[in-house]
Amino acid sequence: MNTASAVDISRLVDTEEGWVDRSIYWDPDLYAQELEQIFARCWLFLAHESQLAKPGDYVTTTMGQDRVIVTRKRDGEIGAFLNSCPHRGNVVCHAEAGNTRGFVCNYHGWSFGLDGALVGMHEQAAFDRSPGFDRTKLGLTPVAQVATYKGLVFGTFDPGAPSLAEYFGDFTYYLDVLLDNDEGGTEFLPGCISSVLNCNWKVAAENFAGDALHAGWTHDSGARAMLGKGVASVVDGESYQANVNGHCWEFNLDLLGNAATLGDRAILRYLREREPAMAERLGPTRARMVGSMASVNVFPNFSFLPGQNTFRVWQPRGPQQIELQTWVLVNRNAPQEIKDAYRKGVMMTFAPAGVFEMDDGENWEYATRANDGVVTRRQRLYYGLGLGTATTHPDLPGNLYRGQVNDANQRAFLGRWAELMQADSWDRVTS
Amino acid sequence: MRRLEICPAEDLPPGEMRRVEVPGGAPIAVYHTASGFHATADTCSHALASLTDGDLEDEEVLCPVHWARFDVRTGEPQCFPATVALAVYRVEVVGGVVTVLHNEEEEEVA
Repeated sequence: MNTASAVDISRLVDTEEGWVDRSIYWDPDLYAQELEQIFARCWLFLAHESQLAKPGDYVTTTMGQDRVIVTRKRDGEIGAFLNSCPHRGNVVCHAEAGNTRGFVCNYHGWSFGLDGALVGMHEQAAFDRSPGFDRTKLGLTPVAQVATYKGLVFGTFDPGAPSLAEYFGDFTYYLDVLLDNDEGGTEFLPGCISSVLNCNWKVAAENFAGDALHAGWTHDSGARAMLGKGVASVVDGESYQANVNGHCWEFNLDLLGNAATLGDRAILRYLREREPAMAERLGPTRARMVGSMASVNVFPNFSFLPGQNTFRVWQPRGPQQIELQTWVLVNRNAPQEIKDAYRKGVMMTFAPAGVFEMDDGENWEYATRANDGVVTRRQRLYYGLGLGTATTHPDLPGNLYRGQVNDANQRAFLGRWAELMQADSWDRVTS
Repeated sequence: MRRLEICPAEDLPPGEMRRVEVPGGAPIAVYHTASGFHATADTCSHALASLTDGDLEDEEVLCPVHWARFDVRTGEPQCFPATVALAVYRVEVVGGVVTVLHNEEEEEVA
């Protein structure tokens, strides 16, 4: 598995002084190594349980570049399998989502159950006469581990990966801000928006991991056009960057900062009215994070924005391309008009035609493509903002940094990336 | 003509089906639907699947492999990939017992 010896990864990322080699955003060899070392080993986001409400429900997605089907099996458990027939390799499910009895390959009629097992095929008698043919060994290849955390379903191809709970560690404290601020739990609104961006997946992941800096500059004109005023300054309020095991959350404690960009007062009223109940459930500090100016990346490529409630996966499609899948998360018990308000608000802001998404896409594509220049490649990138801001807070676990205008989380994200790129075993990865 | 006693009628409630092995013959599927008791060949006429491993929905049985649908009253296929009808058998309830009238000649005609 370990191909890390080909390139000295530790030379590429300097988290002590904040320097990054541009090759990590364009080198095809490093990208191939990422698919092995990161995407074939880490826990990756697959689905929200609300997308798999009843037996037979399924979604298709990818883990890295591997196509997978995620199903609600007849026994009620969630299964995940490679979406590729063991006979000639064809994709066995072409739909994004639906409800089915199983999956039949278009090519030769091999048929698979919701548990991935091979049920039968066209001209079965001929196969049965073939020496050594064993139907039980020819099911869809299962994803090694599948687990859920408060409605979110994750999978890893690595049977030796730590449990999902260990993988998250104390980061669940932060995840609960969105996943557990109401007793009814959460759901995805129906539908997934897919789009393609010509950027490296890490450029997007880093942005959500900890780039509060860009908000007041990149999105200033969009905010003025949408809301009549620019993005509020994030320097003055009480704000932090926190990270655990490479999972990153940068945030203010302003309750409403992100939610306000959706431009719907009903959402702000909803959050204000619920603050006491959320504080009872999560404590006063986390209650102030629910809709605040904040952004999150769960390592490696699952991101979301509290307040806007847009959830997304940056699916790698080569060193300079991603396929972006986005959904909208709401509390299951929220009134329908609030769910509708979130859906409309996200369409206007963080969808392919949303004002803020377009701002980001332009920057990310050029931030990736400029590295093509052979001379440009020699210049390291500066990641030193906020060195020396480590701090502590009685309520906030993990590695904590003062001030959300900071590169601390991006350094932590890339530090975790470098560690996994080099480690041939999870025993060598810190937790 | 053979008379195969399957089970007491109350053991096969509406919406259920069961597979019956026939000594010296192909297995039979017996169904209880809203229209009464019915019996067909248990093996799908397309691939080698037992229809009683599939689903009984209203008057149709669905093959577990490629989801071909058959009308259990007539044995007629309702969709691709099945194109050949299933053999059907007469069913009577005699003294509270579900009984299949198994006639090899009838099977060939159907």
